[in-house]
Amino acid sequence: MNGPLIVQSDKTLLLEVDHELADACRRAIAPFAELERAPEHIHTYRVTPLGLWNARAAGHDAEQVVDALVQFSRYPVPHALLVDIAETMSRYGRLTLVKHPTHGLMLTTTDRPVLEEILRSKKVQPLVGARIDRDSVAVHPSERGQIKQTLLKLGWPAEDLAGYVDGEAHPIELREDGWALRPYQQQAVEGFWHGGSGVVVLPCGAGKTLVGAGAMAEAKATTLILVTNTVSARQWKHELVKRTSLSADEIGEYSGTRKEIRPVTIATYQVLTTKRKGVYPHLELFDSRDWGLIVYDEVHLLPAPVFKFTADLQARRRLGLTATLVREDGRESDVFSLIGPKRFDAPWKEIEAQGYIAPADCVEVRVNLTESERLTYAMAETEEKYRYCATTASKQYVTEALVRRHQGEQTLVIGQYIDQLDELGEHLDAPVIKGETTNAQREKLFDAFREGEISVLVVSKVANFSIDLPEATVAIQVSGTFGSRQEEAQRLGRVLRPKADGHEARFYSVVARDTIDQDFAAHRQRFLAEQGYAYRIVDSDELLATEEEW
Amino acid sequence: MTDTPRTLAEELRTRTDSGLAGLLRARPDLLSPVPGDVTQLATRAGTRASVARAVERLDRFALQAAEALAVAPDPCPYAALDSLMCGDAGDPAVAAELPRAVATLRAQALVWGPDERLRLVRTARELLTPSATHPSPTGLGPTVAEATAGMSPGRLQEILAAAELPATHDPVTAVAALTSLFSDRPRMARLLDTAPAESVAVLDKLLWGPAYGGVTDRPAAHLQWLLDRGLLLPAGGRNVVLPREAALHLRAGRAHHTPEPLPPKLAPATERDPHLVDNAAASAAFTALATVEELLKEWDLGGPSVLRAGGLSVRDLKRTATALDTTEQLAAFWLELAYGAGLIASDGEADERYAATPAAEEWLQLPDHERWAVLAAAWLPATRTPGVVGAADAKGRTLAALGPNVDRSPAPEVRRRTLALLAALPPGTSVPSAAVLARLQWERPLRGAAHTGAAAAKPEEGAAAPVEVDLRTRLAQWTLNEAELLGVTGRGALATHGRALLGSEPEDDAPAPVPTPAEATAAAGRAAALLAPLLPEPLDHVLLQADLTAVAPGPLHRPLAEALGVLADVESKGGATVYRFTPASVRRALDAGRSAAELQEFLAAHSRTPVPQPLSYLVDDVARKHGRLRVGAAAAYLRCDDDALLSEILADRRAVALRLRRLAPTVLAAQTAPDQLLEGLRAMGYAPAAESATGDVLIARSDTYRTPPRTAPVPVPEGPPAPDATLLTAAVRAIRAGDLAATAERKPVHAAPSPAPGGLPRTTSAETLATMQAAVLTSSALWIGYVNADGAASQRVIAPVRVEGGFVTAYDHTADEVRTYPLHRITGVAELADESAS
Repeated sequence: MNGPLIVQSDKTLLLEVDHELADACRRAIAPFAELERAPEHIHTYRVTPLGLWNARAAGHDAEQVVDALVQFSRYPVPHALLVDIAETMSRYGRLTLVKHPTHGLMLTTTDRPVLEEILRSKKVQPLVGARIDRDSVAVHPSERGQIKQTLLKLGWPAEDLAGYVDGEAHPIELREDGWALRPYQQQAVEGFWHGGSGVVVLPCGAGKTLVGAGAMAEAKATTLILVTNTVSARQWKHELVKRTSLSADEIGEYSGTRKEIRPVTIATYQVLTTKRKGVYPHLELFDSRDWGLIVYDEVHLLPAPVFKFTADLQARRRLGLTATLVREDGRESDVFSLIGPKRFDAPWKEIEAQGYIAPADCVEVRVNLTESERLTYAMAETEEKYRYCATTASKQYVTEALVRRHQGEQTLVIGQYIDQLDELGEHLDAPVIKGETTNAQREKLFDAFREGEISVLVVSKVANFSIDLPEATVAIQVSGTFGSRQEEAQRLGRVLRPKADGHEARFYSVVARDTIDQDFAAHRQRFLAEQGYAYRIVDSDELLATEEEW
Repeated sequence: MTDTPRTLAEELRTRTDSGLAGLLRARPDLLSPVPGDVTQLATRAGTRASVARAVERLDRFALQAAEALAVAPDPCPYAALDSLMCGDAGDPAVAAELPRAVATLRAQALVWGPDERLRLVRTARELLTPSATHPSPTGLGPTVAEATAGMSPGRLQEILAAAELPATHDPVTAVAALTSLFSDRPRMARLLDTAPAESVAVLDKLLWGPAYGGVTDRPAAHLQWLLDRGLLLPAGGRNVVLPREAALHLRAGRAHHTPEPLPPKLAPATERDPHLVDNAAASAAFTALATVEELLKEWDLGGPSVLRAGGLSVRDLKRTATALDTTEQLAAFWLELAYGAGLIASDGEADERYAATPAAEEWLQLPDHERWAVLAAAWLPATRTPGVVGAADAKGRTLAALGPNVDRSPAPEVRRRTLALLAALPPGTSVPSAAVLARLQWERPLRGAAHTGAAAAKPEEGAAAPVEVDLRTRLAQWTLNEAELLGVTGRGALATHGRALLGSEPEDDAPAPVPTPAEATAAAGRAAALLAPLLPEPLDHVLLQADLTAVAPGPLHRPLAEALGVLADVESKGGATVYRFTPASVRRALDAGRSAAELQEFLAAHSRTPVPQPLSYLVDDVARKHGRLRVGAAAAYLRCDDDALLSEILADRRAVALRLRRLAPTVLAAQTAPDQLLEGLRAMGYAPAAESATGDVLIARSDTYRTPPRTAPVPVPEGPPAPDATLLTAAVRAIRAGDLAATAERKPVHAAPSPAPGGLPRTTSAETLATMQAAVLTSSALWIGYVNADGAASQRVIAPVRVEGGFVTAYDHTADEVRTYPLHRITGVAELADESAS
């Protein structure tokens, strides 16, 4: 027994990546274990009920899971864990939602006591109708999402086999001239289409938009695409026009400024969740057409009200796209029950290894504050401390030096505080994109940056999501939303797009030493390291002292 | 001596020496003290306590046979017993096993006499014979003769008439006639054929017991039919009973619903690769070691305090469970295991706490397999049962872990037997625990436990009702769980080393001889030797990663694990250990006296891969800050703007006693108190000034020292405050009134006739008190009734001296000494006639 896997008592799995069987093992455990950390030597996977049910949804059974563990484990696997896994997995699929030709939507079971148990729950009672026979009960079609959510909470996730409506047909083809879906994108589309509904997990920069386009080409039906913001919406439109047979006229934008409803409509989360006089006026969008497919971009950011609407859309195919299933609000289970199980995932490193994402060199630059800055920091009010240390003049100075060092390379300076960014913009003579910048202006600047007319761009957190800057090779982070790991991933994503010259991307975090800034940075970097990005810590003095680039 | 012995003693006398030895082995209680002769042995073997003990140790079939004998006529021919056990139809399996059961009973001296006259020892018969309050496990009621005892002859004749039997001339023959009818299968069948259907249904209900039922004053027709024919006989009050003979007829002669001649099979057996089992067990054994070690580490600086009643408080148990990352029940097991192995104990100080023992220190130094041997050897014979921790004892007190009253003396025997059952299976084979428990139940059904009445013998009911599980079964269940935790078994099957731990295999069904401590230790040693190669080899390296974690892909060598435990926090445990480096953990290592360079070297030496840059940066960064601020204690300080003057003082030899140290050019720290420092400096000819906490010069008026504001003490008068006139008047009036009342009462007491001779005087407590007080004043003697603490009443003549605080102090004429009596124990008081008082 000398396998690459070690099973821990807290249900984490440690995989030794340098082991000769590591690849086989990874493939065996990936369906049911969520990759939690992927530093250089030992990857940590976690076995959760959701993960096990995802595996069940993908057609794996408990025996395969147990076999994978027993086969690759270095030490004997605790019997209790194996029993627990089998028990958990057996809970999925005992209840199924099916469509009956005469009774309509109904919940059936293969295990009568389970049905009795859940029917006794007060939460289930209002969702079900008459008992059809001893093994099935009618479900109001409008409660299809609700009941799935509720059953998951009760620990008896229901398998949804009730099928989908086709929606209004609309011809959509991929136009693969001079490019093609990458193999993993192809697999993702197939995995999704086969499963009916679900979530595709791909790292930033891996081309999630194309997976969406691929799914649309499969569905060949009217599609509603939900994205985080307007810029992202424009990018989707741009990309769809470029990659598919759709023309610009066929694609509508439904945002704060425009309210177009076309065969393919791209709406922002924000406009959907706008509430006027206690109602959501834009909800009718969901019913405005007979949609055949709904695409959720950045599922991990899906706002809570959208979940509620989604619960009513269970008869339509749903595709979730995300870089991570981890939600800071812990609503992973809602994603599972309302959008669907995970249909495909590929870890960051693997795609990088295939050359589709640029490797990145992450560097934390520690800046020594001057004495007077340290004094001011020490006396600052607690809630002001971060702002102060994140925006000190010493950091400005180091940041500017870094920009100068990378002169000629496409450089993004990313920050949180507008006055700091304004000041940087002024010093660097670079345009600043912030919340008040108009969309038109933003796109103009982005275009200029893409074309290389501008080589330095200072952006606030408005650029955190879904802007595509293919040629940024250097990103300098000067301040962030405290320790948000989500943000770190997005910002790193800015520089991860493949570079034309294969140049290695550089990701700097400028951090004030011995301050709360450093603590937040440590939190974010832990995330980087867990994603497998080795990072270095460099003292700013040393960095500035060395003349050439290392 | 006749051929057929007439008493048990005579029968025993005819037994061989080995037969007697077998009896004594089976019933060791007969041996203490060693009986003087066979008569004594037989007497003792017939005592209730001894018989009860023996009966409780019977297996289920032998017990069933004994129960059948108890409901059979005494003496009982073997054939009769056979038909009771097998029924009219016969049952070859039962018939085949019956001789064994009878032999067992004979060997235990519970049954004696030749086969044609089997006799159950009288005490055993009493124990097993059914009565209304103590129904027989067979579910049979009393015989017709027993049930009709005391019935009027007229009623008996009526029954005979109803049953269409000829009238007889006396009750005895009437009963005999009825008995023979009920026992005669064909005639009885004919009688029952005429019975209404409802009556038959009633009989069916009572058939397998309990044989008792209730009827109203005006029974329904179908009941009346049965009552008329004696098929239901009155059993006191409105209760009726189905007589034994009738029930036996209905049962086709069987005393037991389900005779269980053979022990339940240990099935279904799951066969696994013995290596797999051994490995699983070894892994559990390793976890057990790690858990106990963690417990010791947790209590390294002293464990929780001992409850006054002994044991660990519930809160401390919870805390320990959290620390061990387990449930409270399991934490109790680990605690008791460590306690049983002598690794933890109470320190016996006034403020009693638990702590690791010196033995624990030695234990920690042992190689893994030997450490396991210590735990396993302590576990096997332990009577302390962690399973009961948390349950309530007879008085409703919660049983505490490590506390008193958790010893269960049957535990070692059950534990050995349970493991022996597993050992009887082929290597690598496991059976469901229910099968093991069923087998143990069969071996010792422990009368009166889960197996009360025939109802429990019906499998459906037994399974459905949540029967209160008897201790033996619970002990066995705990044994199975604990053996798994300790790595004696793996995946439910006894591991090779577990087998060795049990020592020599017991011969078939004979009770395993309890090994001597030396044998047990040797067996544990052998087991450990078998276990040793299965335990993971300790590693001397870890994998360091850029996310500031270190992963030990297996157990580490102890020094490495300890050093790493200081330098990093454990994040996850199991086969591997994941450590996380944080600034706090690195600082902890620096605090423990390691230098940054040492730490870097340590990491480099034990890492199989290069040390990641962020980690070495972290170590250096923490080290850079570590110790930059210094804290020390000084009794006083000396400061002066002129550093030359300070240098001068520091150089002065007379200043040595002041123990000065230079902290900065203008500051010296002293280890002497400020006043002594001032004195010393003045003696050296300097003119120092004292400084307040805020830096002001204190004006030296040396001996004025003031307390904070204080109020003057209030005088404490000796007695209560002097009463004022109003109070005094009122008091005097009250006393007069009371006095008048008392004297007024006295006359009637005088006048009242004395209590009956020999009876205790009875007065109300107010009267008693008044009379006592009056007697003190008049120094007269009184006659009192007194009840002592044990409730014994007596009469005494006393001369009260003082009455106060609920006690009367008096010269007791009866005892001839001064005694004190609590007033509440005095039942009453009467004045003596004048002549007897003198």
